[in-house]
Amino acid sequence: MDRFDAVIVGGGSAGLAALMELSKLGVQAVLLESGKPVGSKNISGGILYSKNYPYGKVYNVEDIYPNFQDEAPVERRITRYYLNALSGNKVYTIDLTEAHNYRTNFAYSVLMARLNRWFAERAEEEAAKMGGGIVDGVHVRDIIWMDDSSSSSSGNSSNSIIITDELEEFGARAIIAADGVNSEVALISNARGKFKPESLYQGVKCVVRLPEDIIDERFDVSNDEGVAHLFAGDISRGHNGGGFLYTNRDTLSVGLVYHLDSLLKSPIEPYNLLNEFLTIPVITNYIVDEVPVPKEVDRTLPREEQLRIRFGLSRLLKQYEELRYTYYSKHERLNAIRQGLYSSEEEIKARLDDVRKRLEQEYGVSFTHDYVELEYSCKLVPDGKRAMMDKPYKHNVLFVGDAAGKGIFLGTRIEGINIGMDDAARAARAVARAKEMNNFSEDYMGRYYAQLVNDSPYTHDIRRIDFEYMKIFVRACRNIPIEPFPLFLKLAFMLIQKTAVQELAGAIARMLDQNTLLRIIESNDAYVKIPMEVAERVGNEVKPIAMIKPLSIDERIARMKIREDEIAHIRMKDPRSRFIKAMVHLCPTKCYIMEVGDGERGMERGGEEDARVGTKEKVGARIVTSNVILQHEGCIECGTCSLETEWRHTRGEKGIAYNYG
Amino acid sequence: MDHANDNSINVAVMVKLEPDLSEGNVSYNPDGTLNRSQTKNILGPHSAIACRAAMYAKTCYNAWVAVCSMGPPTAEIALKDAMAICCADELHLYSDRIFAGADTLATAETIKHGIIRMGRRIDLVFSGHRAVDGETGQTGPQTAWKLGFNFIGNVIDYSIDVERRMVRARRKVYLPSLYTVLEDVECPLPALIALDPSYKDEYRRVSERLRYARLEKEARRRVMDYKSYLRIWSAKDLGVDVRYVGLAGSPTIVYKVEKIPKVKASRRARVVDPSNLDDLREVGNLILNIALGER
Repeated sequence: MDRFDAVIVGGGSAGLAALMELSKLGVQAVLLESGKPVGSKNISGGILYSKNYPYGKVYNVEDIYPNFQDEAPVERRITRYYLNALSGNKVYTIDLTEAHNYRTNFAYSVLMARLNRWFAERAEEEAAKMGGGIVDGVHVRDIIWMDDSSSSSSGNSSNSIIITDELEEFGARAIIAADGVNSEVALISNARGKFKPESLYQGVKCVVRLPEDIIDERFDVSNDEGVAHLFAGDISRGHNGGGFLYTNRDTLSVGLVYHLDSLLKSPIEPYNLLNEFLTIPVITNYIVDEVPVPKEVDRTLPREEQLRIRFGLSRLLKQYEELRYTYYSKHERLNAIRQGLYSSEEEIKARLDDVRKRLEQEYGVSFTHDYVELEYSCKLVPDGKRAMMDKPYKHNVLFVGDAAGKGIFLGTRIEGINIGMDDAARAARAVARAKEMNNFSEDYMGRYYAQLVNDSPYTHDIRRIDFEYMKIFVRACRNIPIEPFPLFLKLAFMLIQKTAVQELAGAIARMLDQNTLLRIIESNDAYVKIPMEVAERVGNEVKPIAMIKPLSIDERIARMKIREDEIAHIRMKDPRSRFIKAMVHLCPTKCYIMEVGDGERGMERGGEEDARVGTKEKVGARIVTSNVILQHEGCIECGTCSLETEWRHTRGEKGIAYNYG
Repeated sequence: MDHANDNSINVAVMVKLEPDLSEGNVSYNPDGTLNRSQTKNILGPHSAIACRAAMYAKTCYNAWVAVCSMGPPTAEIALKDAMAICCADELHLYSDRIFAGADTLATAETIKHGIIRMGRRIDLVFSGHRAVDGETGQTGPQTAWKLGFNFIGNVIDYSIDVERRMVRARRKVYLPSLYTVLEDVECPLPALIALDPSYKDEYRRVSERLRYARLEKEARRRVMDYKSYLRIWSAKDLGVDVRYVGLAGSPTIVYKVEKIPKVKASRRARVVDPSNLDDLREVGNLILNIALGER
């Protein structure tokens, strides 16, 4: 049987950081990841921070990967940060760059699936030196601990055996659980229960393609700099949450994040919310692009001719796209000229115009305004202040990142990836020390890890609201003109705009307990009503420059790369529970559907119907809906439904594979 | 050659450069035939499977691997692609005007000479199921016959007993319109294995996976410099008898190519409106009738 010092479960940014750090510390470590290649199941909203604190050290991405800033495939350096209050087509923008820069070395927009592949290359290189590495396409099914009680005193036995769906079993002395928000290791080891809806957010996102130079111009940035926009107001149908739009190199990340408990109260389809968001004039104007619309091939032509046209057109369209993305990107332009593909920019332009003309004349292609969606994704995000594990260890397992419920989410402060990486570096140190002392027990290694995590400034920030940050936020709101507001709000704004009052408010806030403060910050007023009020009274009106047609959920599912797992990885416990009925709406890929029962066949269950659900009207009042049916085909493993289901990730290489992340 | 105490395994893979038939890469002439000059060429998908099988031998039995191909000078693209898959130690291209116009038999003759002149005792040869532009699937078996190797076709899994110098293989035997049989066979080396399209390489141990990952990386490094692993052989180098290779050595004559006529459907189809209850009831009744055997 193979046996390793350390086994890391999960190849996200935290797991890979753990592999990198363990290998640097001289520990032979193997990372297991169910996706193939590594990174294909990882998504994020997309900003990676590097931070510094006057008290205590955090392990930043550039500490873990020394050549990160020069080589990593990051998107853009985020240099401006805005909060937008929305109402209808009115918007009021507040510059939060100062808050964004608070204790920040740098921040990049990232596409996680791509970035993780780079992390994986670096970590694998380092791990190979120690005889370790990455094994992808492997799903951990179970872990067996042997005589746990005795080993904690004697301490030196390799006391866990890892069982996977794909490989022969093997031994591990220490385990780092980096298997994300829906951690199976947490449940296998009994380290914690599933996260409750009030400790979770559901985020949906789409990646929109747009040429680099057009992004530069539209967002007024240059030199690989980028912008982050947050949105609050009437984008949520009253749910607590907000939207975001981050600029990547030649794509945009656009999405929404909601408190899951708020969604459960009045369930609504996340993809519909996303589509409403995309069609708000402010957003549409950011994402719109010119796209070719091919003409239908004349079906009366001979089949060979039809084929010839179809293949010819698809070649030319491919050419057009490549040329366009080369021409409208300073990097690509220079690259292509350096490689000798073209002699000058003018030549690329001439070729582009030529191909375009051919498309129009030979194939009758027209050009219209729309947007180009590349990828749709959904993820649960643990809300650190409610989800963080008090004791992030069990047996010889250490929990890091999302699996440990980490993340700083406070209004406009959104950090997760950096915190998971910090955890990983600390877990690696605990394992290295355990190896040195030959003691991997809960009491020794686990406690030491908990102590290291406790020392992290991030842990401090998760536990307590950082008032310095809040002060900067309040200061940013200083310039909101107060005249048009009703008395109550006017007073409130006046107060926060006075420096002296700010100090006083800070002092009062410090006296209130954390929960009371959170209730104010995360209230519906703060998320929805006040932003709407602000936008309506002092916002600028935005005129849409074009109409776009957002993709339907069926089109999105059709575009996804999903390899079906013939064995169901989700099982419903009660197909009639309120929670499961909510999933009919909340599942981001429509895996839950209402069964239409037939009254004549005795399935009628009067009275307890959820009025919003089902196709009742269509088939008449006598027939009612009752059971929920689960079709796991198309599941993207977000875990929204996990609370009341037996939920596992798909087996290795199966399930969703994201391209961008 | 005395190899009595030699536990090493030497593997050769025969591959073919084939047109890339994926959309956006393929071109057709106005008469519907393939436009070869406009279509990109790549390593054939079945050849790629043969390479995966060779990689398995390299990972699990530490095998030495050579990839060979007969074709024009541009066929080195196929060898390069193959190297990326199986981390080949040597690449051999048999390229000579004399080889042009070869059918499967003449090709097998050329490859036989190539394999004999690889400078090592070859224990195992892998070939694909067939080519996408030929679809005969004969070159593999004919090469085995010419080499005097045991031939195992339609293989979906194999293992080598290095001590006993035996290969054990699982074959997928298709009995058209009846069922599929899985057959386990064992034979002594040397052997030629033709892989079934459903061959899947399975690495069941963490240590094998790690070794595979390292070889994969090594393969990427080698591909950057593939020309230094490449040897191009002419007919003279191979020492073939020119009467048995190329057009001269090809008994096959293609005298006509026909399109396969579309089979006329004998069933009737009707589109059913899923919101129409009467339609659905009718469908339900039909299914019920069939289930009850009433038709």
